[in-house]
Amino acid sequence: MNKSGEVLESSTREVMAECRDKDSIPPLGSLVKIETTPVILAVVYNVFTYCIEPNRRPTAYGLSIEELEEEQPQIFELLKTAFQAVIVGFYQDGVYHQFSPPLPPSLHSFVYPCSEEELKSFTEGKDFLRMIMNLNRGQSDEIIISFVRQAWTAYKRDKLFLIDMGKELSILFKDDYDRLRSIMRRIMK
Amino acid sequence: MTKKRKRLGAITKGSLVEGLEMKLDSAQSIEEIKAGKFIVIDGEKNQFFSMITDMRLDSTNPEILLNPPDEENGIMREILSGTNTYATVCLKPMLMVDKTTCPEEKPEIRPVKSIPAHFSGVYEAQDEDVSKIFGDEGLGTKYFNIGTPLDMKSPVCLNLERFVERSNGIFGKSGTGKTFLTRLVLSGLVRNSKAVNLIFDMHNEYGWDARKEGGGSAFVKGLKQLFNEKVAIFTLDPDSTRGREVQPDFTVQIPYNQIEVDDVLPLEEVLNLTSTALESSYLIRSRFEKEWLRTLLDQDSRDLSDFAEEIGADAKSIGALHRKLSRLKDFKFLTKKAPQVDAVQKIMEYIEKGKHIVLEFGRQSSLLCYLLVANILTRRIHHRYIKKTENYLCTKNPSDEPKHLVITIEEAHKFLNPCAAKQTIFGIIAREMRKYYVSLLVVDQRPSGIDDEVLSQLGTRITSQLNDEKDIQAVLTGVSNTAGLRAVLASLDSKQQALILGHAVPMPVVIKSRNYDEDFYRDMIKSSYTGKVVDISRVIARW
Repeated sequence: MNKSGEVLESSTREVMAECRDKDSIPPLGSLVKIETTPVILAVVYNVFTYCIEPNRRPTAYGLSIEELEEEQPQIFELLKTAFQAVIVGFYQDGVYHQFSPPLPPSLHSFVYPCSEEELKSFTEGKDFLRMIMNLNRGQSDEIIISFVRQAWTAYKRDKLFLIDMGKELSILFKDDYDRLRSIMRRIMK
Repeated sequence: MTKKRKRLGAITKGSLVEGLEMKLDSAQSIEEIKAGKFIVIDGEKNQFFSMITDMRLDSTNPEILLNPPDEENGIMREILSGTNTYATVCLKPMLMVDKTTCPEEKPEIRPVKSIPAHFSGVYEAQDEDVSKIFGDEGLGTKYFNIGTPLDMKSPVCLNLERFVERSNGIFGKSGTGKTFLTRLVLSGLVRNSKAVNLIFDMHNEYGWDARKEGGGSAFVKGLKQLFNEKVAIFTLDPDSTRGREVQPDFTVQIPYNQIEVDDVLPLEEVLNLTSTALESSYLIRSRFEKEWLRTLLDQDSRDLSDFAEEIGADAKSIGALHRKLSRLKDFKFLTKKAPQVDAVQKIMEYIEKGKHIVLEFGRQSSLLCYLLVANILTRRIHHRYIKKTENYLCTKNPSDEPKHLVITIEEAHKFLNPCAAKQTIFGIIAREMRKYYVSLLVVDQRPSGIDDEVLSQLGTRITSQLNDEKDIQAVLTGVSNTAGLRAVLASLDSKQQALILGHAVPMPVVIKSRNYDEDFYRDMIKSSYTGKVVDISRVIARW
């Protein structure tokens, strides 16, 4: 299985990992697993690119990507892609736990994308949604939409799954009917 | 509690007086919940047998109601259902049973004096619950299967011994199956021999073939066909009875000298008699005694002023009285001479033999005729019952004890309206209850026309659909805590559904009444207690 990245910053709440190449970048809202003991699961909430040379800023060349790769190949060595993921649980003794792991993932451990089967098994519980909601960075709604859309695809767009997920969200959002409606509308599009 | 029970929801709030509220589980459809349904609340120490009285739709957020999900967005509706929008069902606990009773002991069924704790589970009742509460025909002759609770198969039984202890009522709008319910109850009374019946059969529906509900050419069996020797058909109109190929057991004739002024009093409304005219009739009665009516009707209308002068009455009122009572001359069953066999005597003979009597009115189905005959006969029968009861109280000899008599009257509000109830014999019977072994089975479509005092004395009420608020109010007169029952009554189906409440059932219950079909006939001709079946081929041949 292709690695998505390698952990460079770590806590019991979230991790930051760097991707080795552009094909391995995990999409926003995807479920990833960090191969430590126990296996830790996280949802990607931010993907970003940065320059490893602190004194250099990327500048516009007016060339296509192919032309750039030919004429200025060094800039791709200086630019890196990383992602941040919120920890939503861990897998131990054959059970998915949907709360924070006792210890953060080790630095330099590898991050892998979860398979559809893993995604389906993990989403049998719905308590992890609260951990995404607690991100409190103005983007939890977007993450939830991306995550649920991916999970729903794994479930072959099963109506019952979406209803269950919607009921859980409606409980989390309490009286915020507009927010629920907006999220569900975007998931179903 | 057995696992088979279907859970409906959990108790969320309520009070002993106002009833309980249940939040319906999101998996349950509100449309499957019906008012009047029999359900069980599984408390910590008791099971509460209850009835669904009302239901409503609630939401946690008024904004949802302002911006409901689009019609095509079924998923959104399902998401909200049970979480933000939910159904609340109102329940009325009726009876409670101690769960801690040993399985060997018969559980004690008590009126509700407590309420279940928060979040007690609410379940659909099972057949065993129905038999636990309402008894079973297998337990003895006092139980009679009258139907089943809504959506259930186990029979609800009337306790006939308690039923005949008091006067009872069968109410419902026209066309809701009152006659069928009455025929069911009468069949039970006849089969289980709990009382002798005298039925004033205004429309010839109880004795022999009667038209099946819903019209058409289908006919159902009458009591005579089901019980043969146990039932006798008396008639006022032998030609009509024979015309339907029924052989009457006795033709009732009433001589004029048996009609008292008191028998004319209930006709006040039908004949539009004034109080002065009625007072004049007392004058004639005092002068001519038993022959008063014949004397009055024999007068030539031209000589009425002389007649009035002779007895010292107002000529105009005598004229009015003569004119209006002349309608009685059309009744062929009224005779000038006393018939060979007195009708009341004959009725009493049959009653003493335990034979049930259906008195057919044939073509004489006018209200005037019905009121007159029912009053005349009942007054005399009641009089004889008083004597028999007094005799029994003196001798205390069990063989002298009168047989309990149930008199069935239709259009009861004409006999028992607030004005008539104080004067007619039926008002007296309804109030005296079983002191003299006579009770009433009143069948009526307008219970609000019946005197409150009489209504409050009715033991058991079997009520089909009623819509008029006044009628619903009237049926529930004398019943405590009626708020929930009102909604139940108003929501009954117009066919084969009835609410039974009162003395003969431990708790009010909505039933789907038993089918009056071949299975029913078979049950009726079977001697239920011994399981012995009479020769069916003979009975079928009789049909």
